[in-house]
Amino acid sequence: MNRRKQIEEIVFKLLSGLAAYSLIFILGFIILIIFIKGFNALSLDMIIKPPKGGYYYGGEGGVLNAIVGSLYIAIGATLIAVVIGMPAALYINVHLIKQKRTQNTIRYLLDALWGIPSIVYGAFGFTLMLYLGMNASLLAGIITVALLITPILVRTFDEVLTTIPKGLHEASFALGSTKAETAYRVMMKQGFSGFITAVLLAFGRGIGDAASVLFTAGYTDLIPVNLNEPAATLPLAIFFQLSSPIPEVRERAYAAAVILTIIILIVSLTARLLSAKYSKSNLK
Amino acid sequence: MKTRIAILILIYLVIFSACVSKKRAEEAINVSGAFALYPMVVRWSEQYKKEHPEIRFNISAGGAGKGMADALSGTVDLGMFSRGITKQEKDKGVWWISLAIDAVLPTISSDNPFLSQLRAEGLSQDEFKSIFIDGSINDWAEVISSNNKAGIMVYTRSDACGAAETWADFLGGKQENLDGIGIYGDPGLAEAVSKDMYGIGFNNTNYVFDINTGKKRPGMEVIPIDINNNGKIDTVESFYDSLNDLLKAVGNGIYPFPPARELYFVSNGKPVKQAVMDFIRWTLSEGQKYVLEAGYVPLDQAELNIQLKNLD
Amino acid sequence: MLFRRILFDRITGWWMIATLVTILLMPVIIGVGLCLKALPLFEHQSLFNLLGSSVWAPSKGEFGFLPFILSSVYVTLLSFIFAVPVCILSAIYLTQFASRHLIRIMYPVIDILAGLPSVIYGVWGILIIVPFISEKLAPLFNITSSGYSMMAGGLVLAIMCIPYMLNVLIEVFKTVPAGMKEASLSLGATHWESVKHVVIRKSYSGILSSFGLAIAKALGETMAVMMVVGNRVQIPKTPFEAGYPLPALIANNYGEMLSIPMYDSALMFAALLLLIIILLLNLVFRFFIYRSQKHES
Repeated sequence: MNRRKQIEEIVFKLLSGLAAYSLIFILGFIILIIFIKGFNALSLDMIIKPPKGGYYYGGEGGVLNAIVGSLYIAIGATLIAVVIGMPAALYINVHLIKQKRTQNTIRYLLDALWGIPSIVYGAFGFTLMLYLGMNASLLAGIITVALLITPILVRTFDEVLTTIPKGLHEASFALGSTKAETAYRVMMKQGFSGFITAVLLAFGRGIGDAASVLFTAGYTDLIPVNLNEPAATLPLAIFFQLSSPIPEVRERAYAAAVILTIIILIVSLTARLLSAKYSKSNLK
Repeated sequence: MKTRIAILILIYLVIFSACVSKKRAEEAINVSGAFALYPMVVRWSEQYKKEHPEIRFNISAGGAGKGMADALSGTVDLGMFSRGITKQEKDKGVWWISLAIDAVLPTISSDNPFLSQLRAEGLSQDEFKSIFIDGSINDWAEVISSNNKAGIMVYTRSDACGAAETWADFLGGKQENLDGIGIYGDPGLAEAVSKDMYGIGFNNTNYVFDINTGKKRPGMEVIPIDINNNGKIDTVESFYDSLNDLLKAVGNGIYPFPPARELYFVSNGKPVKQAVMDFIRWTLSEGQKYVLEAGYVPLDQAELNIQLKNLD
Repeated sequence: MLFRRILFDRITGWWMIATLVTILLMPVIIGVGLCLKALPLFEHQSLFNLLGSSVWAPSKGEFGFLPFILSSVYVTLLSFIFAVPVCILSAIYLTQFASRHLIRIMYPVIDILAGLPSVIYGVWGILIIVPFISEKLAPLFNITSSGYSMMAGGLVLAIMCIPYMLNVLIEVFKTVPAGMKEASLSLGATHWESVKHVVIRKSYSGILSSFGLAIAKALGETMAVMMVVGNRVQIPKTPFEAGYPLPALIANNYGEMLSIPMYDSALMFAALLLLIIILLLNLVFRFFIYRSQKHES
């Protein structure tokens, strides 16, 4: 009996170690290739200049149009997500604190929303666009991406809020606050870094997604100055560069990918740092 | 409180941009569509901007189908289109202008072991049909007198595009009848074929030939079309070694039409923006001198006159 | 003063309810919108025919979605088979047996991979996975394959889902109270036994939700899969054949939408199908998670 257990122990330790290390190897390999190819093609020009004519055909310039466009869309969409999502998450946790079943139903629906593929949002956004008579524009892109990331914001923020002990609510009510005051003055303060985490996560998702902006935001070589103009986005910039017949332009796609990855990396590292800070100093 | 301020700022931004946009929108030309036309329109936009610097162009590729969908739905001003316009599209009120001519070429890898025989004998329209549509020929040994059996790996385009529809048209079918591995995009297909020595596919001229050298891109080869069906490629059928020869053959009508095809701008009804109409007029007059050097066949003068009439 | 506070409470309360309702109504609105656009399809074909037929001939007005549904399911299943064992074993190793240092390195790795745009995974798939399948893997089984196949799609998807699964699994395994594990060890169980009986048992619901996450992601992933899966309208019989999952259908043919009658309805129907499948899957997973959570307490 002991022998068998010992063998089982060794076997599984080996197996899991093998799995972990080969995983690290493969994942690291992918990152390495992308970064090596990307940095090779990366130049300062790429970041600070928009493309000149025929960029996808070998011309000069950079992807500033896509960087700015992506930032505009992600920031705009995140703003909308915050305006709509923050009150909703707070409501679930403050006003509905007594109704557990309602809370669970709502959480299930939110989970389901989170799972909807971005292409469905893209298809819906396109239909909406036609219905409202909009052309491919920054606004259409922002709305579609907002639809995509609001559930992410709400759910993440909600997760954070659930870890706040109920005692805090009750103390707040006992001291005579209204529900709204409890929500905005007390819960927000307590869950603030969690809130920032949720915002950053939603932002990160919004900036990197291709399927939702493919039909809705259009594309341009210029930096959009108003909401009605089409906007370039980094994922689409990568895609179009990869579609060029010229190999040098295809190499540049990796550089754009590196830029996007670095932006997302900064965002998620900040989110991780903040959530670590949050979990340590829970009750001030 | 903070959310309220944010909302106010948002409303302000929206109103502000709506006011400013009218004049700017008038001076912007939004184009999307076929990979085939993309280099041409980009070249045109560069030259046009030299005389009209206030006009802004927003050009993106994405395939002929996307161009038509975007144009008909009004999300862009002009769609770049690279196949024949269907009745359904005409019923939807599409307006179109011919711009230039180019061709779709059948491609194989330069590593194909039967290359020299293929170049000498070519394949006929029926043989292409059997390979791409029926699937009744699926081994290289059936089309080339050879003892080595090797399965033909057929590649086609997965995205709704002009190249596939035009090629299918040549073979008497539609894009959905082409049976093969679907690769996204022109360059993707070119790469897949060049990497597979038993592969066969098709591409737009600009993705087969390098515009700067006039020669085929490394890894790519073209299967000559046996136009007169005599089992070998005669001198008059052999024009695939340089881009200039090929374009000449297309211009003279020797290369079959399809898979040679006209390229169009499409729009939902006649464009209302003055800037757009001016641009189109320019492409049909002064713009035509850039067509050949961009790797396309210009329309002849009679045809141009007809098109110009359509503008008025 | 009190009046102002009550007013604030009422207005913001109203706004909060409004936003919550809007968010919850979103899947309904999206579903209804897609449904409306897909309606014309039903004039020609019954629902049964649409779902069960394999004939895809849009220019003749025949839309059979079976190959697409099956391809989606097949490729998701494949990615699941590749990802799950690796993820669970790795998560166990990282949280139980390895040094704390290793996990700290893993976090940024996971974050970078989760953030990589999916086109890049597609390119990587074309560069590495497709030739691997056509030149090394398929010949092992005596099959010729172009490499653009279900297998390629499954592998690429697995790599894309692994960061998400790992993230959740690591969190889940970490939150198992150390006390329980130590109790088990003090009772004489080996390290692995403790892991098996304590850590995993306690984490069923977490493991299940990581599965749900991965499946939803795999079903909905568009760009990367489209580039390697072969896009051929057929029901793949072996993983080395090409297939055509639903998201790829929508993204590839978006351009033909207005050119062929009813094609836009067909594509919206495909989106609707995806929506329904994922909503149903979520229901199922939630149910199991709920059950296992009850068992845990």
